[in-house]
Amino acid sequence: MWESFLEGFHLALRLDTFAMMSVGLALGIVVGALPGFTTTMALAILLPLSFFLDPLVGIPFLIGVTKGGIFGGSIPAILISIPGTAASIATTFDGPALTKKGESRKALEMALFSSAFGDTVSDILTILLIAPIAVLALKFGPPELGAIILLSLVVITASTSGVFVKGLLMLAMGLFFGIIGQDPIGGVSRFTFDLFPLRSGIPLLPMLIGVFALPEIFEAVERKGAALFTSKVPGAEGPRLTLAEFKRCFRTILRSTGIGAAIGAIPGMGQVIAAVVGYTAAKNASDHPETFGKGELEGIAAAESANNAVNGPTMVPLLTLGIPGDNLTAILLGAFIAHGLRPGPTLFQEQAPLVFAILVAMVLANVLFIVIAYLTVPLFARLVTVRKSLLLPMTVVFAFTGAYVYQSDPWDLYLLVFFGVFGYLARKLRFDISPMVMGFILGPILEYSLGQTVSMSQGEFMHFVFVERPIASFVVVATPVVAYLLWRRVARLRRRAVVTASAESR
Amino acid sequence: MKMVDACKRMVGVLLAMLLGLPLAHAQNYPEKPVTLIIPLGAGGSHDLNARVFTSVIGSYLGQPMVVRLMPGAAGQTGTAAAVNAPADGYTLIFSHNFIDQLQQHVEKLPYDTTRSLETIVRLNYAPGAIVVRADKPWKTLQEMFDYGRKNPGRLKFGHSGNWGAAMAPGAQLLAEAGVDATLVAHKGGGPAMQAVLAGDVDFTIAFPSVIESQGDKVRALAVGGDPSVLPGVPTFKQLGYRSSGLEMERIVLGPRSMPEERKRILREAFQKMNGDKTYQNLMKKLGENTVLMPGPEYEKLRARQNVEYKALVQKLTGK
Repeated sequence: MWESFLEGFHLALRLDTFAMMSVGLALGIVVGALPGFTTTMALAILLPLSFFLDPLVGIPFLIGVTKGGIFGGSIPAILISIPGTAASIATTFDGPALTKKGESRKALEMALFSSAFGDTVSDILTILLIAPIAVLALKFGPPELGAIILLSLVVITASTSGVFVKGLLMLAMGLFFGIIGQDPIGGVSRFTFDLFPLRSGIPLLPMLIGVFALPEIFEAVERKGAALFTSKVPGAEGPRLTLAEFKRCFRTILRSTGIGAAIGAIPGMGQVIAAVVGYTAAKNASDHPETFGKGELEGIAAAESANNAVNGPTMVPLLTLGIPGDNLTAILLGAFIAHGLRPGPTLFQEQAPLVFAILVAMVLANVLFIVIAYLTVPLFARLVTVRKSLLLPMTVVFAFTGAYVYQSDPWDLYLLVFFGVFGYLARKLRFDISPMVMGFILGPILEYSLGQTVSMSQGEFMHFVFVERPIASFVVVATPVVAYLLWRRVARLRRRAVVTASAESR
Repeated sequence: MKMVDACKRMVGVLLAMLLGLPLAHAQNYPEKPVTLIIPLGAGGSHDLNARVFTSVIGSYLGQPMVVRLMPGAAGQTGTAAAVNAPADGYTLIFSHNFIDQLQQHVEKLPYDTTRSLETIVRLNYAPGAIVVRADKPWKTLQEMFDYGRKNPGRLKFGHSGNWGAAMAPGAQLLAEAGVDATLVAHKGGGPAMQAVLAGDVDFTIAFPSVIESQGDKVRALAVGGDPSVLPGVPTFKQLGYRSSGLEMERIVLGPRSMPEERKRILREAFQKMNGDKTYQNLMKKLGENTVLMPGPEYEKLRARQNVEYKALVQKLTGK
């Protein structure tokens, strides 16, 4: 094992590997930063290119694209409140507020360093724990996934900012939006009002751009653009991230990395869920949760380290079982096969050094990533310092083109505007939008796994879940307990806030 | 030297992908890029196949072919877009038999694929195999189906999604064999295979490249296509199953009402591309075959599929 690892380490130290990895990273950052273009699209288009490269060059190249893409998505999320890819939704909670304060560079650098940290640690964990993670991945079938999704929904809703009932209401709306379209188990159309385009359901990215970016634009129009994108230092990109600030957020980054890596090990969850759960956990653990969502640097650290920490463990089912856990790893599987490598148990026995070489390349990619992203961040940060009269129309253009190119369906533009108005009204009425988005993302997964569990149980649902699936039953039982603890904590914090407020007014 | 060649070819593919190769053919069709709708998501096998052939076909067509992914509603979104596009030969669709012929029997659709679309070419096919975990007692398909007949509903079939490339053939085989099994849907072939490995379901239908990588952890009981697909494993035909459309056929369709001359130009381009070395080489790397079937020939198969799928859906849904 150790020998194959050393051999793999030597294999990975190649100049052309590094060069192509850098190209992949740069391409990934650019594509991820363009709203509407997803990392998956970039990977699919670049895949044939990797066929002509040596496996140890071609596969790290694609891995570079993935890593760059996930970070790239956070750039428009921070600057103009448009999530470049769905994985960066939690970054839009605090990023734009920091940009408005003129601290876009600081926010981008925090995103960069926490992404790189989360990624590196999760990659190293993956190398060390590849066998246990593989076993764990097989233990998580539909019942377990369903139970964990249920728990996540409860945690996210319980820690919503503002009134609890409002959070529940938004969650219910999100679940409803997720139901629209063809039912995934039976194939029956639901709530489509016989409109054909609604059969495919509401697309995620146009909805996200709608609820996050359009309200910003509406508000800017409302205030005649006065308060939007003011930079305290005109012509510059704002202060840089200090070491002290990074240290302040370090506990959060560690926590989010752990959460992201754990979520990555469970098939079917993915970066979006990791980012939001990491963010929520940071907010719950903080002694100043009220600053979250208003330009809290820690919020960016929490979301960005969590979504990148997913990267390492998602490779495990692919490498050890030959099973891709998401679209990104499905394309990587294509690349492996094209190079005559068949991921799966046999790959590890026959080509252990090569597998380790790829894993080592993943770690080294993070070093390159820091360098490349660090050089490009000032350029991106400077973008928002262009004249306000140009920036606002540009944001509108990016929002609409981003929503359109995602599926090239004009219908998505109606949905974009609908969700833009929805998000604006929610903001005005002080409803937190995140439970809605999470309900929308998690609801269909919950429904699907529940449906699978029902068919798997063959008519004995309770017996199946509570007797044959101990992990699932444990999570289901723990859910109300966690909900109660969270609720008590939030209530106590709120009481304290009221007490201090009244003490100050005295 | 080899490296230089590889670089040259790479640059060639890149250029072809970006620009296409507008050769000096004095034809009036095609005079602009041809859009190829894929009614499925990014990263799936259709996407990967299309990335390969669209990077090559440009040099035979004289214009680039541009992929446009339109996933949603189990393929209906993209198919509707292809049906409603002008019949000028500039919008084609890259689909498969289950979206093309099975869907219409499951749900009322706002289009009729058979009337509106005609096969340009069947690019290739993907033969699925019935797979069980190695520690299951069944050594042959016969043994498993015997167990299924004795214990109605006990056998769990994990498939890759409703009416998709695993479910439809599986259901067809089960129906032909008279076995009543429980169907468990999964989001794609990966999760279905994982369910087999974890013991959550008894069997699935998977493609040979996936099966090979599992080594001795799984056992294939029977396979579609011909005996060369998985040596030593009997084919459905050899076992006496007569259903057609058990394999996923990857097909390029165009509007039936487009000018015959344009259909001919497209079919010729695909035929020539099939002999292209780069194309053959790339498809081999993907683990896909290049068994092309001319459009008119596939049209006959298509008519048979229509009848069989109708009977299958009626049997399964009781409609």
